[in-house]
Amino acid sequence: MGDTSPRTSVSTDGDTDHNNLMYLCSLMKGIWVLVLLILATVQRVKWIKRLAQNREAARKSRLRKKAYVQQLENSRLKLTQLEQELQRARQQGVFISSSGDQAHSTAGDGAMAFDVEYRRWQEDKNRQMKELSAALDSHASDAELRIIVDGAIAHYEELYRIKSNAAKNDVFHLLSGMWKTPAERCFLWLGGFRSSELLKLIANQLEPLTEQQSLDINNLQQSSQQAEDALSQGMDNLQQSLADTLSSGTLGSSSSGNVASYMGQMAMAMGKLGTLEGFIRQADNLRLQTYQQMVRLLTTRQSARALLAVHNYSLRLRALSSLWLARPRE
Amino acid sequence: MQGTISCMRNYNMNTVGESLRPLTLKTQENGESVRTLVEENAVIVIGRRGCCMCLVVKRLLLGLGVNPAVLEIDEEREEEVLSELEKIGVHGGGDTVKLPAVYVGGRLFGGLDRVMATLISGELVPILKEVGALWL
Repeated sequence: MGDTSPRTSVSTDGDTDHNNLMYLCSLMKGIWVLVLLILATVQRVKWIKRLAQNREAARKSRLRKKAYVQQLENSRLKLTQLEQELQRARQQGVFISSSGDQAHSTAGDGAMAFDVEYRRWQEDKNRQMKELSAALDSHASDAELRIIVDGAIAHYEELYRIKSNAAKNDVFHLLSGMWKTPAERCFLWLGGFRSSELLKLIANQLEPLTEQQSLDINNLQQSSQQAEDALSQGMDNLQQSLADTLSSGTLGSSSSGNVASYMGQMAMAMGKLGTLEGFIRQADNLRLQTYQQMVRLLTTRQSARALLAVHNYSLRLRALSSLWLARPRE
Repeated sequence: MQGTISCMRNYNMNTVGESLRPLTLKTQENGESVRTLVEENAVIVIGRRGCCMCLVVKRLLLGLGVNPAVLEIDEEREEEVLSELEKIGVHGGGDTVKLPAVYVGGRLFGGLDRVMATLISGELVPILKEVGALWL
């Protein structure tokens, strides 16, 4: 059949139907594919949206966590600060009472008042010593140095006056040394330092001394040592006497006689405690006398250097205390 | 009324161990006896019985090599003795005496304050030597 006639658009009904069917099928396939594509796209969009949402949620969650941790850190810091303040206040003899005991707080007030005054005195002293150091470095005249040195001695006198008043209120606070930094408390003797030790300290730093000066300083150191020993023995005696008073007498069931003797013992013990104020006063008196004599024995320049040496030593002790308080603990 | 004043003299120069020989004076007139003690001794420390400050003064003087006489007064006697002591005073009387009191060369020297101050200033030893309480 070599039918070379071109296909005509006119086809038989059967062919048209077949073609139409084919066309429909293709269309349907196309539509189906299109639908699938659309669905896929929609799915993808949804997925992307979900990803974004997740990311957002995660971000928010991270921010919330960060805020929470930050809050925790702040609270921790605040707690540490409060603990430190409490520690500091305790060390300075403030009675921290949760029950708000009236009787204790009055003694605490006296101690706290002294601590405040002492801090102020210390600040004055720091200023004074800076002035002295500057004067020495700038080769000030002896007359000018003399004024500052005399002022420094008067300043010590002032401290002992303050201590004397505080002793009337709370002698045990002074004796405890809680108003001093920890390292200073190492060397505590009768509510302060030992003059004899101080003299040993400066004797080394005061070269050159004339022979007479060496001798005199040595004698001064010995005398102050003797006075310290005598006071120490007096304190030991007081301690023994107090112990004897409190441990004497009859123990056991109460009778009028026992109560009377108990009261008598207490009265006597109270009297003995009362002498402590005198001991601190004598110890401070010794410290002042030693300073005054030292200045008499030395030249103005030497006195200035001696006072600065004492001050620098005390600064080191205080620095040591700060280090100690800040040390890392397991 | 008889009063008892106990007076102790330390004969041992060694500060570590002292041998105390208490002398008990039974007197009719307290005052006279106190005056006598003050005048008779180069150095005498007068204080209340059991007073710790009195001990401090005593130890200080012992440490210097002095043998002070020590007079310990009972509480009941205190006023009496004080009034007698005030008659003796540096300027012939009228000084208020506070215990513990040190009398050097028959005259009121002062309390622990003065002893301490003069010790540190170096004035004490010459004064003691002057009254014969110290040799060397």
